[in-house]
Amino acid sequence: MALTLTCPVCGKRNGYEFRYGGEEKGPRPDEADLTPQAWCEYVHMNKCVAGIQKEWWCHKDGCGVWFTTHRNTTCNLEVDTPEAQS
Amino acid sequence: MKRLENLPTLRIHPEKTLRFEYRKKKLKGLSGDTLASALYANGIRIFSRSLKYHRPRGLYSLDGESSNTCMQVNGIPNVCTETTLLADGMQLEPQNISGSPEWDMKGFMDNLDWAMPAGFYYRSMHKPARIWPIALKQVRKAAGLGKISPDFQMPGRYDEIYPTADVCVIGGGPAGMSAALAAAEQGLRVILLEIRPWLGGFFDYRTADNGNGTSLAQSARQMAQQVEQNASVRVFTHTTVVGVYNNNLVTAFQKGRDGDSFEERYLEIRATSVVVASGCIERPLLFDNNERPGVMQIGCAQRLAHTYGLLPGKQAVFSIGHDLGLEAAVDLSDLGLAVACVADIREDGQDPVLLAALKERDIPFLRGWVATRAQGSKTLNKVTLATKTGTLTKEFACDLLVASAGMTPLTGPLSLAQAKLAYEPYTGFFIPKQLPDKVQVAGRMLGLNSPASIEASGQLAGVIAAADCGKSVEGRLQEARAQLNQLPGPDQGCKLVTAPVQGRKTFICFDEDTTIKNVKQALEMGFDATELIKRFTAAGTGPGQAGIPGHNLPLFVAQYHGDTQATAMPTTMRAPLVGTFIATYAGSNHDMCKRTPVHESQKNAGGIIRRIGVWERARYFSEDLSCREEIENVRQNVGLLDASTLGKFRLWGPDALKALQRVYVSDMSKIADGKVRYSAMCNDDGCIIDDGVVVKKAENDYYFTTSTARAGATVEWLRYHTRYDGWRFHMVNLTDAFGVINMAGPNARKVLGKVTDADVSDAAFPYAGYREFMIQDTIPVRSMRLGFVGELSFELHVPSSYMQTLWDILLDAGKAFGIRHFGLEAQNVLRMEKAHLIIGSESEQRTTLHDVGLGFLWDRNKSDAKTVGAVALKQTENQEDRLKLVGFKMEDPSRTPKDGSLIVDSRIRGHVCIARHSFTLKEPVGLALVDAPLAAEGTRLQIYEDECNGQHLHATVVPTPFYDPEGKQLKM
Amino acid sequence: MLRKSKRLWGDQAALKSSYDAVIIGGGLHGLAAAYFLARDHGIKNVAVIEKRFLGFGGSGRNTAIVRANQRTQQNVPLYKEALELWPILTKELDYNLMFFNCGNLNLMHSEAAMNTARMNVATAQFHGVESHLIDAKQCKELVPALNISKDITYPIFGAMYHPPGGILRHDAIVWGLAKGAAKHGVHLHQQTEVTGIGVENGKIVSVETDKGRIKTPRVLNAAGGYSAALSYQMLGIKLPISVLTIQAMVTQPLKPILDHVVSSGTYHAYANQTLKGEIATGAHMDAWPNYTTQTTAYYIKHQAEALSEMLPCLRGVKFMRHWGGLADMTPDMAPIMDGNNLIEGYYMDCGWGYFGFKSCAATGKYMAQFISSGNCPEMLKPFNLSRFEQNRLMGETAALVNYTPDN
Repeated sequence: MALTLTCPVCGKRNGYEFRYGGEEKGPRPDEADLTPQAWCEYVHMNKCVAGIQKEWWCHKDGCGVWFTTHRNTTCNLEVDTPEAQS
Repeated sequence: MKRLENLPTLRIHPEKTLRFEYRKKKLKGLSGDTLASALYANGIRIFSRSLKYHRPRGLYSLDGESSNTCMQVNGIPNVCTETTLLADGMQLEPQNISGSPEWDMKGFMDNLDWAMPAGFYYRSMHKPARIWPIALKQVRKAAGLGKISPDFQMPGRYDEIYPTADVCVIGGGPAGMSAALAAAEQGLRVILLEIRPWLGGFFDYRTADNGNGTSLAQSARQMAQQVEQNASVRVFTHTTVVGVYNNNLVTAFQKGRDGDSFEERYLEIRATSVVVASGCIERPLLFDNNERPGVMQIGCAQRLAHTYGLLPGKQAVFSIGHDLGLEAAVDLSDLGLAVACVADIREDGQDPVLLAALKERDIPFLRGWVATRAQGSKTLNKVTLATKTGTLTKEFACDLLVASAGMTPLTGPLSLAQAKLAYEPYTGFFIPKQLPDKVQVAGRMLGLNSPASIEASGQLAGVIAAADCGKSVEGRLQEARAQLNQLPGPDQGCKLVTAPVQGRKTFICFDEDTTIKNVKQALEMGFDATELIKRFTAAGTGPGQAGIPGHNLPLFVAQYHGDTQATAMPTTMRAPLVGTFIATYAGSNHDMCKRTPVHESQKNAGGIIRRIGVWERARYFSEDLSCREEIENVRQNVGLLDASTLGKFRLWGPDALKALQRVYVSDMSKIADGKVRYSAMCNDDGCIIDDGVVVKKAENDYYFTTSTARAGATVEWLRYHTRYDGWRFHMVNLTDAFGVINMAGPNARKVLGKVTDADVSDAAFPYAGYREFMIQDTIPVRSMRLGFVGELSFELHVPSSYMQTLWDILLDAGKAFGIRHFGLEAQNVLRMEKAHLIIGSESEQRTTLHDVGLGFLWDRNKSDAKTVGAVALKQTENQEDRLKLVGFKMEDPSRTPKDGSLIVDSRIRGHVCIARHSFTLKEPVGLALVDAPLAAEGTRLQIYEDECNGQHLHATVVPTPFYDPEGKQLKM
Repeated sequence: MLRKSKRLWGDQAALKSSYDAVIIGGGLHGLAAAYFLARDHGIKNVAVIEKRFLGFGGSGRNTAIVRANQRTQQNVPLYKEALELWPILTKELDYNLMFFNCGNLNLMHSEAAMNTARMNVATAQFHGVESHLIDAKQCKELVPALNISKDITYPIFGAMYHPPGGILRHDAIVWGLAKGAAKHGVHLHQQTEVTGIGVENGKIVSVETDKGRIKTPRVLNAAGGYSAALSYQMLGIKLPISVLTIQAMVTQPLKPILDHVVSSGTYHAYANQTLKGEIATGAHMDAWPNYTTQTTAYYIKHQAEALSEMLPCLRGVKFMRHWGGLADMTPDMAPIMDGNNLIEGYYMDCGWGYFGFKSCAATGKYMAQFISSGNCPEMLKPFNLSRFEQNRLMGETAALVNYTPDN
């Protein structure tokens, strides 16, 4: 595979310029009344979607921005129209 | 062997003789020869012995589809002699022989095939168990082809380039050249890759008419000239495509020729569109002894004659399934080869012009006949032909059998591009059901055989590729499509899988000596998927990269299952499509390391340098690595440490404080002006990942340091953990912009006082203070009073360009005070005596801030900040059975335990993170991570060292720090 | 040897409508669990459901290295038992698993790394597993092809030498276990896809497949790289797993040149010579989840660069075949073996990352014990899922794992 990603600042670039930042799980939860289970779910648990998932990337060897994109994990290609998102 | 002369197709240069050695015998070849053609010219027919049965093997194809002709060349194993050009002075040795290729002492193995059915090794040699180690040695010895010496050094230079193109065309035959020209015509940048040393593909060696009065060879040369003269097409010949990856990344390697600066060079090409026009190879015909030297494929026989001027035999039989075979029979007969018979597997469909030509030459022609057996113990002397059902047979004496079941497309690049292949019943090819995005196909691989169709399909593919690149080509596209449509379509392919034979000596894979019978055995054992048969029989796993069995194996499996061949599925292709030297992939050396501004002067001062992460750093300044003088000098006088590798950052902007609060466990709103604040970062498991100091330079403007290891990841870390917040702050990584000197020791102030007018007295610049001042009125420094090594110390942060000057100034000023360098190991001991920890040494992935005793840094009253790690710190605060960091002293002070030793009772209870004999304290001390119940002061620890034979050392948990517990030294 | 070939794992049985246990995944872990369930626990009415063919996934894609010199006391005994099982299984299954007990050298490239390795060595010795720290010169004696000069990027300081380790033929274990399981009555259903898992009142009741529904009270998720997706999709149970592609490759076959497994964490590469003579080498994972098993140009090049420094004679050898497989990585690089708690009758044996081969037989043995009794054996208890909730990661890796963003 030769992953490419589209950085919102720099455009389409070689995937090795980026660092994967996990599945999109939303903002950090409030700490009040947070159960260990809920916290663990936020920090560690993944859906491991075999298909299109929304995920975070950092253009680490470029502009440094963190951004989300949709990628199909079964072919390693970015998708423009993530209708099938699960 | 006398060469054919005056053929317009020759690629050899008879005027240039090259000398080489084969089995220590001096031989001659010609410039332009491959190793294989040169050997053939010298009468060599048996090139090697086969892996398992030591059967004689010779020239079968010319494109390296099997290991038959691999040799040891200049000490390099498995060199494909078919594709390697001869160079003066080469030394060749055949592989896998015991004795000589002609008289091989293990030739008897061929009669023992009954003892080696498919997968026999899984079912033998393990009973009784004691024979296995002995058998294993024999298996290892028998396996493998070439030899490499452990001290072998690959000569020559290996290069790499990373070109980009709009269109990358794989294959420089007529279709590929047409595609390249059509794309270039649209104003695109094209890269054309051709595996042979010249363009032309399968036109190159053929004298048949292309339909307009010129020979195919001639028209190929004309087209090649056009391509080479086109400034938009960059041609790489002698360049083998080895990988195709998604988003159209193509990798290849080019062999250097005379005058090139490289032996081979690796190419990584990024293209918008890829045209695959890799053409066809021949599908091997399966019959008994189908790989006997003297049996070869059509293209091999014809190219030997036309490219290298070598008539492949004297008396020939042809057993073929394609018009190219008929053409070759006519052609070679005209060059002087006696053709005893041409047997065509096909009942009909032959080109009538070719049939007439055979007749004209009185060459007997058999329809629906096929070779069933090659005879001759070492090389071919007789062939049995039979009808497809095997009912009628005929024998012919001959020394050449041109055998080929038909064509098979080279789909490797398509397969690697993730095209799903399917069996196409008319051509009998595996071709893609659907092409991947921006990948096009052209030429013979589509089953086309007419020269005009092949060229037209290339043009069409070139135009579609231009459309892939965003060119509007509607008119041109219609035109190209119309042109192709009026030309002949694909030829019907020959479907015969095997001649009517039992298959005991019918080799479906030459490299692994896999016979049809072996495949049947595997099928009977329940290995029904082609992929499983490949694994079980090893068919297709040798250096030929499945070139021989690739097409026949899935067809045979489908036939065995009684399926129509439509369900046949080829095994997965893998990169590299052709074996590629590790030297070639490695290219030039890529290592880059970082050095601090005072690297050289430390080295000159006797610094022993070590690679640590991305940096090279001075670890010792003492030959014996004990660091005693360095350590004692810091405690007694003053030392200089180059700490430039520390991560250094500026963080500023309206939300800078919020960002700091998010990642640091302490309350960063409480940093006082002119003070440094020591704190730590955790991950969301509460595990400590970094520590450092933060300085508030102005409102929402901070300067902070991280450990060396975290320097690269910190900007990313802060941005990651604030990514939902939309906060406004900037970060700059200043790690390389600033050098850092840690000047430590009781005399540190005296030295500093000599070089600055600033008041550096304890009153004006107390412990944990931060000041900015000038050194010698010129050099601006940021200075922190820290105490990592436990002495009065000034950390001086200085622009990198001033670093060397400041270093020299301090060394000079410090002479009177006994200043000297100290390195990382001395620092390591000094800080251990103070029980200051180094992340990664006293902590590990699972240790929390609490575990290492730094829980006091965590401020629990800032939950609004959502500090990274805070939730876990709260959850684990009072958790039992965790590891704790403790200090210990030895019961027997003559023994210092080694780092990494275990703390044990009946089980493992922890480990020694660091232990050293302390010159300051005159006894060994150390730090250990132990189970919490063992952490109480006074607990006796049993230490288990490696190789201790059960002899434990004993230590006692003691309070820390070991040295100067009141901190008087650093607050001087 | 002369007898006519019999079907190795028996005739294909029809899918029954009910089994006592259903194992999802016809890889090493699933087959081993099935084998031991049937052999030791009298649960013979077992189906192994495999979507592709036996050994399609990680079982046939790893480079078959075995060792028992892990870092922690939770791991070492399990791997030690696994090492001791190979000769026993070879005999029991009457199938040559081709254990080549060549020993492993894990190279160290700094003084600090040597100290870190000492902890592993001492842990092994404490558990009666042979392992030693050796210096660079001793390394060179064992592996003459090794470059111990100082002028490479990461000079070799020494190694952790572990004589009991080695390599096996991975396919042989798959086929041997399949043979053994079938002999004890286990049904192996290839080309059969699990499409759902039925749960009623918190209990497993059935498994849906594309070939029909199976009633069963017990399910083992041993689906390797697909286990986490399966767990979430079919049961809504999320796991702390990231599925990455790990790559490996082989060179063309050579006469013996490497007599040991050589690996280097710093160079991020290992190499060993298979019995066929190929140098098998690998280790890299691209740090983003995907299910492609595709290889990368980036990595084969990296590997060539690493080998050029470590084993420079291999520069004259050709890479021949490069492939990828899925690694279901957990945050602490230790597996998850748990079950019968979230859902009664649901067991999982996953999160094995790239190290699932080494202990497959021993794990199968304990998982079988777990499944048959419903109680987790002591050996497997440390590998429970709740350790993540309790912030008690296992210490299998000392350094921070760098394939997730959380570090």
